[in-house]
Amino acid sequence: MASSLRAAIISHFRVPASQTLALNGSKLWTVRSMSSHGDDHLDKNQVIDRVLEVVKCHPKIDPSKVTPEVHFQKDLGLDSLDTVEIVMALEEEFKLEIPDKEADKIDSCGLAIEYIYNHPMSS
Amino acid sequence: MAAASPSRPEIISLFRSLLRTSRQFSDYNIREYSKRRTIDGFRLNKQLTDPSAVAAAFADGKSQLELAKRQVLVYSLYAPKVKSIMELNH
Repeated sequence: MASSLRAAIISHFRVPASQTLALNGSKLWTVRSMSSHGDDHLDKNQVIDRVLEVVKCHPKIDPSKVTPEVHFQKDLGLDSLDTVEIVMALEEEFKLEIPDKEADKIDSCGLAIEYIYNHPMSS
Repeated sequence: MAAASPSRPEIISLFRSLLRTSRQFSDYNIREYSKRRTIDGFRLNKQLTDPSAVAAAFADGKSQLELAKRQVLVYSLYAPKVKSIMELNH
């Protein structure tokens, strides 16, 4: 009886360690599953507004020049490094993972809006 | 082992990998620092034209990327339980 009691206590102490690991893992998953895939997609105007907000908040950009059609390198005078930064900021805003090949093609607000609007996982 | 001078897409790809790895840090401070440092580092070296200097900077960047990946793991092992004040209240 004492040994079974001891085993019960030991197993009780053992559980928390693995539990926290499982919690960390499941936290990630629960966050993802809570992102709404049910309601069909973001509203296009919402996407446009959020994309422009992200672009305007970038330190190197003049907010008054930002329009939905503006080209990062031609109109806003950015270089390729800044373009990567902006695409990263958009990834964070919409919780996306844009593969490198697609990200290289995004070089204007219009393309960014199109890509994000058409991406099934945007939120 | 001197690699040929890296191409533009390779450099952009390295920049992107470094930023992606920086994002994975759980600690606010090191996350913001690595983002800032990669952006500043790449900007500083933007004007380099000498191929050997470019290759050296690229190799340095790659080793930093490996380091960052290892550090993401180490930091996650000892992640603080409380979020930094900078991460609350946007």
